[in-house]
Formats: sequence, C-alpha cells, structure tokens
Amino acid sequence: MLQVRNLTKVYDDGTVALKNVSFEVEDGDFLVIIGLSGSGKSTLLRCINRLIDPTEGQILWNGIDLAQLEGEELRNARRQIGMVFQQFNLVRRSTVMTNVLSGRLGYTNTWRSLTGRFSQADMQKARGALQRLGIEDQAHKRADELSGGQQQRVGIARALMQDPKMILADEPVASLDPVLAHSIMQHLEKLNRQDGITVLCSLHYLDLVQRYASRVIGLRDGNLVYQGTKADVLAMTDAQFKEIYGEEAERLGSGLQGEMKTTTGSAT
Amino acid sequence: MIEKPPLAPSKPFNRDEERKPSLVDAWGAAIASILIPGAGQMLARRIRRGLTILASFVTILGLLAWRMRLTARFDTEVWDIIIKSFRLDPYLLVIAISVLVLYIWSIYDATLLAKDNSKNPIGVFFWIMVVFFMLGWQIGQIDPVRLVTEADEAGPALGRVLWPWSRAITYPETLISGIVEIQSPCTDTPFPAAKPLPEEPWLVADPTCGVPSEQDGSPGTLIHLEGGNFSPDTLVELWWRDPIGNQFRQRAEGEYVSLIPEDDGTFSIEVIFPYRLIPPTAREEAQIWKIEARQVAAVGDPVISQEMTLVIEKMIETIFIGMMATFFGIILSLPLSFFAARNLMSANRITLFFYYLTRTLLNIIRSIEPLIWAIIFVIIVGLGPYAGILALTLHSAAALGKLYSEAIESIDPGPIEAIQATGANWLQMVMYAVVPQVIPPFVSFTIYRWDINIRMSTIIGFVGGGGIGFLLAQWIRLLDYRAAGLAVWFIALTVAILDYVSAEIRARYV
Repeated sequence: MLQVRNLTKVYDDGTVALKNVSFEVEDGDFLVIIGLSGSGKSTLLRCINRLIDPTEGQILWNGIDLAQLEGEELRNARRQIGMVFQQFNLVRRSTVMTNVLSGRLGYTNTWRSLTGRFSQADMQKARGALQRLGIEDQAHKRADELSGGQQQRVGIARALMQDPKMILADEPVASLDPVLAHSIMQHLEKLNRQDGITVLCSLHYLDLVQRYASRVIGLRDGNLVYQGTKADVLAMTDAQFKEIYGEEAERLGSGLQGEMKTTTGSAT
Repeated sequence: MIEKPPLAPSKPFNRDEERKPSLVDAWGAAIASILIPGAGQMLARRIRRGLTILASFVTILGLLAWRMRLTARFDTEVWDIIIKSFRLDPYLLVIAISVLVLYIWSIYDATLLAKDNSKNPIGVFFWIMVVFFMLGWQIGQIDPVRLVTEADEAGPALGRVLWPWSRAITYPETLISGIVEIQSPCTDTPFPAAKPLPEEPWLVADPTCGVPSEQDGSPGTLIHLEGGNFSPDTLVELWWRDPIGNQFRQRAEGEYVSLIPEDDGTFSIEVIFPYRLIPPTAREEAQIWKIEARQVAAVGDPVISQEMTLVIEKMIETIFIGMMATFFGIILSLPLSFFAARNLMSANRITLFFYYLTRTLLNIIRSIEPLIWAIIFVIIVGLGPYAGILALTLHSAAALGKLYSEAIESIDPGPIEAIQATGANWLQMVMYAVVPQVIPPFVSFTIYRWDINIRMSTIIGFVGGGGIGFLLAQWIRLLDYRAAGLAVWFIALTVAILDYVSAEIRARYV
C-alpha cells in the first residue's frame, strides 16, 4: 500500500508544485491522476521514485518512507518501481535489447554492467518481455528506428524488467495517436490485472480515464481537488471537470466518449 | 522533466516613439551642421544620429589626413602636402571630393530632420559606408590590374611550384678530370708530350711549354688543348695549377672558359697561358704548371633527391605532430569538458564558479592562435616538433573542451532520469544514458579537430614548431621554388588523403 501524506514540493525558483497532497493507493489499484499541464502530476510521480526530492511530507510504501531513503536503499526501492515516460526516454542510439536490459541495472553488479555483460537469465527475461509486448522482432534495431508506439512498448518492457511492484506512468500516451494510445493503455492494464502491479498513471483524455482507471485523483495548481472511484468517474459532471480543469475546460463529444480538451497545450 | 525557460517578451521596435519636435528650423539645422557636421541632427533631437555622423566624419578626416601625409612624406607645409598628395595619388582627390559630398549631404540630412524628425533617411549613412570603402581601398593598396600584369612575371616561379617533380630525383655525379703538365719557361730539352689514353679521360697540350702572360698585358704562349673520353653535352671547366699549387680558373676576355665536348666526348680549344704573380726567383728555372679539364657528370640511374627524402621525413613528422596533439588534446579536454558543461555544474555556487573558471580559461587559450602558442613554446622547449605538439595540444584541448562540453550540455535529459528510475547507480547512469548520447558528437568533433591539427601542423614549422613547414619556409626564402613545390604537393596530398579517411570514419561511426 502506498500512502502519500502531506506531500509538498517547492522548487528552487519558488514555484509551489505540490501543496500538502495526501492520498492512498491500494496494491493492485490502477490510479489515474488528472489535471492541467503544470498542475503537479509529473512532480507527484517523480517524488514517489525520488527523481525529484519532495520538500515536505511522507511517501510510505509498505511502511517504508521513500522520502527519507538515500543511496543504496533508495536505489533498491527504485528498482521495484518501474517508470514509463511521455517521451519514452529511450537511449535512442542504443539497440532495443540494450534499452530493455538497462531495466536490470539495479540488479546487476556495476562492473558487469559497465562491460555490458548481462546474465543469460536477464537476456531470456528481456526476450520474454519483448515477446509479451509483441516487438520481439525489433530487438536488434536501434531504438530511434522504431515508431512511437513501438518505442513506448520498449519503455514498458524496460519497466517490466525491473520486476516492479508498482509502475509510474507519466502521460504515457500523450505523444501517441488515439489508436496506439489504447494499445499502450491495454498493455498497462494487462500488467495491472495479470501481474498485480500497482499502476499510477497521469492522463489527459477523459475517455481513457473512464475506460482504464480503477481510482482517480485530480490535481489543480498543486492541490488535490478530486478523489473518486471508477463509479464516481463514470458519473462525473461538468461542474467537477471545471473544478479540476478550470473554467475554460470544455467537454468535446458527448457523454462517456467525451474527450477533455483544454486551452493549454500538452505537457512539457 | 524538461524545464524550458520562459520566452523573454521581445521588446517591439517602435519607429514612432514619442519624440519632441526639433529645437531648430531647417535653416538653423543647416547652419549648425555647416559649423559641426552632425550638430544639426543633434539639435533636431536626433542625438545618436548626430553623434554617429560626427564620429564618422572625424574618423574619415583623420584617416584621409594620415594617408595624404604618408603620400607626400617629404613636405612640411599643409598646402604642399595637399597638392603633392593629390598629384602623386589622384585617387586621394577622389576620396577628398567624396568627403566634401558627405559634408554637404550631412547638412542636407540635418535640414530634412529639422522639418520632420521622425523620418529616417539612410542616404547619409550609405555615403559614409562608401567613403570608408574608398579609404579601405586606398589603405589596402588594392590594385586589381597588378594581379593580371604581374602574374605574367610570376609564371616561371609558379610553374616550378606547380610541377616540381624534376627536383624529386637526382643523378649520382662523378668528377671527370684530365690533367696535362706544362713547362715554363721552355728549356733546350723538349718537355714530353702527353698521349691520349684509351679508357680514361685525357688532355694533351701543344706546345708543351711556354711563358705566362705578363702583368703589362703582353700575352703568354697560345696553347692548343685537346681532350677526350669526357661526358658529352656536359660542361667542362678549365683550371690551372701554378707551380706553388694554387688553383684558378682559365679566363678568356674576362669570362671563365668552359666548353662542351662533342658527341664522342672529345674537345679542342686554344687558351692563352695566363698571368700569375710568381716570386721572381721561381721564374729563373723551369717550373711545372698543370692544366686540368674538369667535368661534373651524371652517371648511372636516377635516385631520389635529398630534398624529396627530407620532404617525406618531415611529412611523417608533421602527421605525427598532428596526431600526438590531437591525442593529448582529447586527454586534456575530456575532464575539462565536464567542468565546462553547465548542466553538470549548475548544482551550487562552487561548481558554478569552476564552470565559469574553466569556460574563461578555455576561451582565452582558444582565442590565441596556435602559431602564437608555437612561438611561446619554441622559446620554452626550443625548436622542433615538441614545441609544435605542445602548441597544438593546448589549442586542441581548449577547442575540444568547448565542443565536448556543448555536446554534454545538449544531451537529452530524458534517458538520464529513465536510467536513474531503474535503480541504477551514478556510474551505470553515465555509462548507459550519457555515454551513448555523447559518443557520436565526440567522435565527430575529434575527427574535425584531427583535420585541423594536420593542417595546422603543416604550417607550425614556419615559426620553428617542427614538421614540413620549416622546410617550406626555408625553401621559399631561398627561392628554391621546385623544392617548395614538392613540400606543397605533399601537404596537399596528405591533407586530401586524411580528409577522405576522416570522412569515411565519420560516415561509419557517426
């Protein structure tokens, strides 16, 4: 269970990205975080695996406060938390295989990894992960030769290599077209359902939120402004949207298939 | 998370800023500008425009006065200088007239602005540029005609540079000589005559004795010389050896005597027994003089000339100067580049201080040309390739440090956080997220630098830094254009080959 308590993040330039945010995530949840660009979604996810150091608050994960970990302990915690990025963040010039294997770095002896000698078991595991995501035939291509959807699958395979108990997905489909977006989300859903991996995912599109989320939290200007179950989301009203997305928010399309469109651009 | 700095709101350029009306009318502005060019514009509340015109005018007048003084350097009176310089260089008169036009134009410009000071007529600035250009033409002593007319005379020298290959080979030479003895003065018993020899070069004289010419000009005995077994078509010199062993060349009518043998290697010539200051006692009794016919002839197959050998040796030295300098430059610049990368050094004030320190140091070193560094290192370690290597190393380290650091600064931070998120440690992060990203630009910059270093090492010898440049400079000064041509050819060939090689490497690894 992940318990975030009174989490606050103030950047060096004085920007307050998160204000006293508290929520809980049960193991096996598919938690979707919604909110405008700049509302603190990315900061929240990065605080959990400490790519960003929170200013105040606790992040209790199975009783351990992630916010207090340093060095070896932090790395050991990180390797159990996979992360998927909007821009995929693959090493573009390395092969797909190397990118996937780099998911094992936290488990690999430094010297072995510097010389690129991963164990047979790791290689087997990597092939398995690629197969599971349907891109095993791309293994020896360079990462930048792949299409966007394929690159994101490599990103998921890399996270999968960590044997994660939790996956943080920072707008994993914001750079992809809607068809691919569903395909990627289905992969994440499968990991959530079949492997019992907790997923924390930030999303922009309302139909995706309604389709995949088991729980939803909403952020606005760093404040937690919404918490709801799947049923709550399905019954969400325009007023609640405006609470999260601001007055300019508009609902395109109709009803459940609607897509949230905001006047600001996509996330940086 | 990629943080983008917010775009600074660009200040729109506004031509129609609030501007108070001119202080004077058109006439006032004209009179002010007649007194001081630019003053009229200033009174029309166009201070910066007026100052620019005034500064340009003063600079132009100063430059013109300097050039006129230089042209009429022996005159002292101002009027004489003006007249003389215009006569010696009519082009100065053209410039002077242009300055006058500029003066009038600036007055006209002032009247325009006094009427409406929001206007921006650019004519006067255009004319300032024209006058500066004319001055530049005069100061630079530009003379396109000379490029054409003088090219004619440079032809032979350039031809030797362009096609120097006759200097690349040489023929082994040997000294061929035939000697005949002459008795002086004659005695009763005739001096035995020499005989032609079957195999060796020979020289016979007729008569075999005689008297030298006198100091008062009366000629000595006329001697008929015949020789054989010499090399045809090659110059033969005639040398005398007087009884006390001094050698001197035979002259006729003031010129040295030299001749060219027939195709069968024989020759014949008549020479006058020359005057020679001999101690009087030595004249009493008969003395033996000698005549020697000397020839330096090429024999055997051609061999590579000494110059060619030198060029090849120094070319190898040059390539290694460039190589070692690149190598040391890489080693020095790699650590420096991390200090000079802002994204790695902006953590706190201390690291930021090192960032600025490294950057400043690199910029200073880089701004001084390798040739200057070479002069400094020649003073420290003496002439030779070591000084050249040090100079190029320093410059390469600074240049590569800057290029590498910029490559590090421009890497995508995404993979770094992705690798960190897997629980990798710092070394693994560098190895898996930074290195793959910086290798292509590093390889590319290194090859680029290697190209530059090879080119630079060819001329670093001009200041004593070793390599082929030293030979090139020396041969140019000795007017040995063929040898210089050899060096130029080898430089061009080497640079072309290495260019090709580096392009291939670049295509394969970048």
